Amino acid sequence: MDDRTEQLAKNGAPVIEPGHTFATVTDKISSIVLTRPTSNGWYVGFGIAFLLAMTLLFAVGYLFARGIGIWGVNVPIGWGFAIVNFVWWIGIGHAGTLISAILLLLRQSWRNSINRFAEAMTLFAVACAGIFPLIHVGRPWLAYWLFPYPNSMGVWPQFRSPLIWDVFAVSTYATISLLFWFIGLVPDLATLRDRSTNRVAQMIYGILAMGWRGSARHWHRYETAYLLLAGLATPLVLSVHTVVSFDFAIGIVPGWHTTIFPPYFVAGAIYSGFAMVLMLAIPIRKVYGLEDFITERHLQNSAKVMLATGLIVAYGYVIEAFMGWYSGNRYDAFTLWNRLHGPYKWDYFALLICNIVIPQVLWIRKLRTKPIALFFISGVVLVGMWLERFIIVVVSLHRDFLTSSWGMYYPTRWDWMTYIGTIGLFLAAMFLFVRILPMISIFEMRTLLPEAEVKE
Amino acid sequence: MNGRDFTFEPNAKTVGQMQVLAGIGAATLVAGLFFAPQRIWPNLLLVSYYLLGLALAGMAWIAIQYVSGAHWSTALRRVPEAMAGVLPLAAIGILSVLILHPSLYSWTGGVHVEGDAPGFKLMWLSLPFFRIRAVVYLLGWLGFAWAMLRLSRQQDSDGELSHTRRSTALAALFLVFFGVTFWLASFDWIMSLEPEWYSTIFGFYNFAGAFLSGLATLALLLVWLQRHSALKTVIREQHVHDVGKLLFAFSTFWAYLWFSQYMLIWYANLPEETVYYVRRLHGFWQPLFVLNLFLNWVVPFFALLPRMNKQRAGILVRVSIVLLVGRWLDLYLMIMPPFSGGKPRIGIWEIGLVAGLVGVFGLGFFAALRRAPLVPVRDPYLAESLHYHA
Repeated sequence: MDDRTEQLAKNGAPVIEPGHTFATVTDKISSIVLTRPTSNGWYVGFGIAFLLAMTLLFAVGYLFARGIGIWGVNVPIGWGFAIVNFVWWIGIGHAGTLISAILLLLRQSWRNSINRFAEAMTLFAVACAGIFPLIHVGRPWLAYWLFPYPNSMGVWPQFRSPLIWDVFAVSTYATISLLFWFIGLVPDLATLRDRSTNRVAQMIYGILAMGWRGSARHWHRYETAYLLLAGLATPLVLSVHTVVSFDFAIGIVPGWHTTIFPPYFVAGAIYSGFAMVLMLAIPIRKVYGLEDFITERHLQNSAKVMLATGLIVAYGYVIEAFMGWYSGNRYDAFTLWNRLHGPYKWDYFALLICNIVIPQVLWIRKLRTKPIALFFISGVVLVGMWLERFIIVVVSLHRDFLTSSWGMYYPTRWDWMTYIGTIGLFLAAMFLFVRILPMISIFEMRTLLPEAEVKE
Repeated sequence: MNGRDFTFEPNAKTVGQMQVLAGIGAATLVAGLFFAPQRIWPNLLLVSYYLLGLALAGMAWIAIQYVSGAHWSTALRRVPEAMAGVLPLAAIGILSVLILHPSLYSWTGGVHVEGDAPGFKLMWLSLPFFRIRAVVYLLGWLGFAWAMLRLSRQQDSDGELSHTRRSTALAALFLVFFGVTFWLASFDWIMSLEPEWYSTIFGFYNFAGAFLSGLATLALLLVWLQRHSALKTVIREQHVHDVGKLLFAFSTFWAYLWFSQYMLIWYANLPEETVYYVRRLHGFWQPLFVLNLFLNWVVPFFALLPRMNKQRAGILVRVSIVLLVGRWLDLYLMIMPPFSGGKPRIGIWEIGLVAGLVGVFGLGFFAALRRAPLVPVRDPYLAESLHYHA
């Protein structure tokens, strides 16, 4: 039996390296925020991200002055970079909720060290996503017309339009994600309040901790609320990208109207979301020496999720191609032909390589634990998922039914600046987050320690 | 733990009942071939495909547990393994339809393909290729089932961890193979009954239905085995509770896919797609169409929403029966409209074959379950599963 126990132990890396106690976990995580001096690397990284975020401000400012004519959108390609980026960012946001809600319900305790920053990442990604439709409406100062509110003009949004469903889906998602993240933070904010020596920090963390004293009753209420929010957030993981897919699939444009879109969009969202989680987790664990908490097990499991969702995405591509032939519909067949042979064929081939071919190396067990390899594969997947949305939005629109209304799409410098600017905004927010909030959930990590085990 | 204490011996009465049901099924089939061939063939396809779904759901369950490294369910594994054991029976049913009565598929009598680029469809829907594909899918599934069950039973004698590792690798390969082939099979055997119609989500939808019916069957079998076999000491309340949660989740997943397909086709309103729903929404089809949604989602959703209900065997059994009836209705709505003319007909032929389905499944399941100890006695993760608590 002893041999077997040993074998089992070797079977998988632990979710937390041995040798830690309650005290060392709290020290390690809270010191990053409270006692560790801010490194020069942080300033440089934040500075670069901040500058990029400023290009966003510049690009959006110019947009407000001149209108969306400065972008590459035209007739027939009315949806360009803005919608591509919107879908891309919203998709990335999915990993946070999946990790924090669905994996909680599935009792996957390995989620405990990555849920906090995955949720933070979700919020920032949703914020970046939300910018695009707002600045795309043309008169952003009237963007509140998207909401149904009683008004003297008697103007209501079209409730049959998936665009208005999107408004509800995304705003619900943002609200629940924020609440979930904040509720999860409360016990840790109290820890920071108690441990910080700076009066101002004590006050800020104290206000945010909302009087948390860690009594049994607090914990009871907390657990109930957290589980309920997880239950609420779970359908949102599926619903948000489903509604985004409806934006396309309800239309009759070839390449948009296909019934597989809802599940296939959700799988793609989780795919890119885990890629982003890995791209952030790998440098963070290195820089802050968190290898004990974000172990090989986390990398391995995230890689497996990527492999599985990547295969579902591949299945979606294959099935679309199959239907292009099987349906016998001339326009569907042409859409497929155009992707393979048209002016954007290189995008399509790059998409297949990034999203399907390269990630298959994740079948190799050794590669799933190599941080550098995973970092690059994740980058490739993020590029691939961006290309996927480009194919869906731009390539479908540029040639549809009538040859007289074909066109081409050329992104302008403003398109690029806006896109890169949101990446800057996202990274700047992440830099601030790791500096001022505990990026790993302290108390949830402590539940994983041998000390926390209850003797039956 | 001793393997000999954990062999399964169904009581003679239950076996007798299953034999009677199977006999009714066989008699209905034979009589139907003479008196109502137009009704018996599509019904035979229905029950065979139903049985196939149960067997493949058993396989998918095992594979998912291996791949995700789940250990809570190890002690229960023999139950889905025995479900997978009915795969050969399902294969016989499917093949007999495809070989003996291919004219069930209207395209075999010269394809009248809609659309203006029919080349691929003519090639894809040609009888020899169609049959070769069926054989490939079925042989592939049987091969995987044989290999995975063999590894699991070998472990009973030597307790090697390497069997678990090999099963995990095999399970991953199976899931990829299954994903592609089950999708194609659902297109081939069900969707092509109306060859002009197509929907890309159809494979997903069929998987969700099959897996949901598999889960409902698993819940029923667990409760039954808890009362009538040595598994009484093995199955804990938490195991049943978790199966209840999965039922709830997959019922909702099924409804999600149902809605996605229906809403997208309704919204785009293209005649070549809406024809499918038009056929299912007029006359007496409409109440069945609505009932389908109730049986497969509305009832299970509200019945299983409270936590207490997911733990209570009585409620799980009732919900599972509702879901299994719902699965039959779902398949009936997918298969029958082109054959049944203007109105649905449910009579002696349908009921007789359903009785046969229950009997054949029961007998096949018992036979498979007897072949190995009721729990994987030397699986290294068994202890963890026996002490499972939430």
